[in-house]
Amino acid sequence: MINYLTKSLEFDLIYSVNSFLYVLKGLPIFKDLLTEDVYKSGLLKRIVSAFMIVFLLARSLFLKFFYFFMILVACYEIFPDTLVQSYFHIYFVLTIIGMFINNKLLNTSKKKYFSIAIFKMNANKYAKSTLIWNQLSNLFLNTICILIFGSLINSPIIYSISLIIFTFFIRFIGEALNIKFYKKYHYVWYSNTRLYVSILTILLIIVCLPFINVYCSLKFINIITVICIVLGTISAKYLFEINDYRLMYQKIFSVVNVMNSKNDKDYLRQAMVEVKDKDKKIDSKKLKGKKGYDLFNTIFFERHREILLRSARKYSFILIGIYILISYLILIDSSFSTSVSKFLHNNLGWFVVIMYFVNRGAIITQAMFFNCDHAMLNYNFYRKPKNLLGLFKKRLLTVSKVNLLPALVIAIGNIVLLILCRNYDLLIIVSTFLFIIFLSIFFSVHYLVIYYLLQPFNKNLEVRKISYSFVTLLTYFVSYTLANVTVNSIVFSILGLLFTIIYIILALMLVYRFAPKTFKLD
Amino acid sequence: MKLQVSDLTKNYGEKEVLKDINFTFESGKIYGLLGRNGAGKTTFFNSLNEDIEIDSGEFKLDEEVLNTDDIGYATATPIVPEFLTGKEFLQFFLDINEKRIGKRKSIDDYFELVQLTKEDQDVLLKEYSHGMKNKMQILINIVANPKVILLDEPLTALDIVVQEDMKKLLKTLKKDHIIIFSTHILELAMDLCDEIVVLSNKHLELIEKDNLNTKKYKDKIINLLKEEEND
Repeated sequence: MINYLTKSLEFDLIYSVNSFLYVLKGLPIFKDLLTEDVYKSGLLKRIVSAFMIVFLLARSLFLKFFYFFMILVACYEIFPDTLVQSYFHIYFVLTIIGMFINNKLLNTSKKKYFSIAIFKMNANKYAKSTLIWNQLSNLFLNTICILIFGSLINSPIIYSISLIIFTFFIRFIGEALNIKFYKKYHYVWYSNTRLYVSILTILLIIVCLPFINVYCSLKFINIITVICIVLGTISAKYLFEINDYRLMYQKIFSVVNVMNSKNDKDYLRQAMVEVKDKDKKIDSKKLKGKKGYDLFNTIFFERHREILLRSARKYSFILIGIYILISYLILIDSSFSTSVSKFLHNNLGWFVVIMYFVNRGAIITQAMFFNCDHAMLNYNFYRKPKNLLGLFKKRLLTVSKVNLLPALVIAIGNIVLLILCRNYDLLIIVSTFLFIIFLSIFFSVHYLVIYYLLQPFNKNLEVRKISYSFVTLLTYFVSYTLANVTVNSIVFSILGLLFTIIYIILALMLVYRFAPKTFKLD
Repeated sequence: MKLQVSDLTKNYGEKEVLKDINFTFESGKIYGLLGRNGAGKTTFFNSLNEDIEIDSGEFKLDEEVLNTDDIGYATATPIVPEFLTGKEFLQFFLDINEKRIGKRKSIDDYFELVQLTKEDQDVLLKEYSHGMKNKMQILINIVANPKVILLDEPLTALDIVVQEDMKKLLKTLKKDHIIIFSTHILELAMDLCDEIVVLSNKHLELIEKDNLNTKKYKDKIINLLKEEEND
C-alpha cells in the first residue's frame, strides 16, 4: 500500500513539475533558455521538483490558513461581541458541509482514471492509501491551524482539541455515507441537484444562525464530537473493509465521464458555452428571408439564446425586482430616500461594476470561438477581410442590442429612483441615462474588439495569450476602482460618455485595420 | 484460450445497439471486427471492458468470469496523461505492474518495439502527435501482457511504415493472446486478420471464407454490411 501511495504522490509531483516547465517554456524570456530536452531528468528537473515540493506544501498550508483566517475575520467583523461562540459555530457547521461536499473517494478525476484504468493500479489499495494520506495530511494541517487560531481568540485548548478530533472523524462518516448511498442508488448523491441544493441550503441557513443570536454551544460541539468518534470509527472500518472499489470506479469512470470530469477546468469552461438542447431547434420564421452571413449570424445567436438572450432577460427581471424593492423602501423611509439620492448623485462609478457583471460580452465571445470560429477559421473564405468584418458588424449589432435590455432597465430604474427621491434635474437625468446606455455599448464593443484583435483561445478554450488576460484583468480592476470614486454624477457621466464614445470609435478603427491579420487560429 | 460472449444486450435508452450476442473468440487468431459507422463496435469493446453497464449477458475467459485485468484496451482516441514524458509514462507503468510483467526489458527496447526514437522519450505526451500517442497506448497494452487485447481503430493514424511494423508485432502476439481489432478499412482487416467478424443489425457474425477468392470474399462482406441499410 505504501508503494502505491509513493507512486501516486510521485505521479502528482512529476505531473506538476512538467506542467510548470511547460508554462515556463511558453514565456518569452524562457523560450530560448530552455531547450527541448527540458523534461529529461537532470539537474534542472531535480531543482524544480524540490521547489515544487516546498511550493505545494506552502500552498496547502497557506490555503488552510486562509480558510481559518477568513472565518475569523468574518466573525470579528460581524459578531465582535460573541467572537469565540460564532467562530466555533461557523467552523463547526462548515465542517459538516465539508463532510457532504468534500468526498474524495468517489469523485472522478483524470489522475484517478490514469492510476486505475491506464496504469492498472489495484483500485482497493489505491483508494485506501489515498484515503489515509488525505486524512493524515488534513489532520496535520487542521491541528496547526485550529491550535493557532484557537489561541488567537483565547479559547480553552480543550475545545480546539475537540474540533481537531471532530474534523478528523467526520470525514470518515462523509465518505462512508457517500459510498453507502452510491451502493444503494447507483449514483453519487451530489449528482442529484435537488437533494444537493436542499442539504446545502439547510446547512447554509444553520451557518447564519449567529445573526439571530443562536449558536451551537461548545458543550453541544463536544457531545457531537464524541458521537463522531464512534460513528467515524465504524465508518473507517467499513471503508477499509470494502473490496469492490474497482467495480465502483469502473462504473463511474466511463471515458466520457472522466474526460468531462466536473473537476476538469476544460470541461467547466466548455460546459459554460454549450448549446442547450432547447435551443437546438430554431423557429423557421426567424430565418425567413435571411441569407448568407445574415442567416449565419441569426442561427448562431438563436442557438445561444440561453447564454445571451435568456440570461439578459433574467438579469433584467432581477434588476426590475431590485428597483421595485428600492422604490418601495424610498416611499416608506425618508432617510433611505436621502441615501439613495446621495448615492445616485455621487457614486455613479458603481454602475460601471454593475454593467461589467451584467454584460454578456465575455462569455459570448467564448461561445463564438468554441462553437463557431474555431472551425470556421480553417476556411479561406471565412478569413477574407470583407467577410470577417461584415460578420463582426452583424455580431456587434446583435450583442449590443441584447445587452441594451438590462442597461435600459438600469437607466430607466435610476430615473424612477431620482424622481421618487424628488431630487433631480433634467441634466442629471439625461446624462446618467446616456452614460448607462453607452457604457453597455462600450462593454459589448470592448469584449468583441479584444476577441477580434487578440483571439486568445486554443481549441480547449484555454486563454493562451497573456495580453488578453492582462486586458480582462485591467477591465475588472478599472471597473472596480471607479466604483470607489465619489464624484458628482453629472461630471462623471459626461466624462464617461466622452471616454466611451472615443473608445468605441478607436476600437472599431483598430478592428477594421488589424482584425483581418489578428483574427486567426493559434 | 477462449473468450466466450453470451447473450450480450446493450441498449441506449430506447435504441437497441447490441442484441443477444453470442460469440466465441479464440487465441491464436486476430479477429477483424467490421461494422458501419455507429454499428456499435466501440460499444461492444466498452461492454467487454466494463466501461459501460450492459443490459444483460456475460463474458467468460476459459470458463472463468472475465476480469478487466485480463484486458488491454487501446481506444480510438488515445487517452494518455499529457504532462508526463513518454519515458516517464512507461516507467510508471512498468513500476506499478512489476509483478505482472515479470522480466523487464530496457526502456529503449520497449520504445524500439513501436518505433519511437530516443529523443521522443523525453518529450511530453501533450506534444506527441495523434499517431505517436496511439503507439504509446498500444505499447502500454502490449507490455502488460493481458490475455485479451482490444484495439479500436488503432492503425489508422499511423504512417505506413509503422503500420507494417505494428502488423508484424500483432501477428507475433496472437499466439498467446486473443486479439480483436476493429476497423472500417476492409483491406486492412483482410490483410491482417485471420477471421472477419461483422457487427451488423445488432449481431456479430463470422464471415466464412468458404474457398472464395479475395474479390468474392470482399463482395460477401460488403453485401452483408449493405443489408443493414436495407433492413
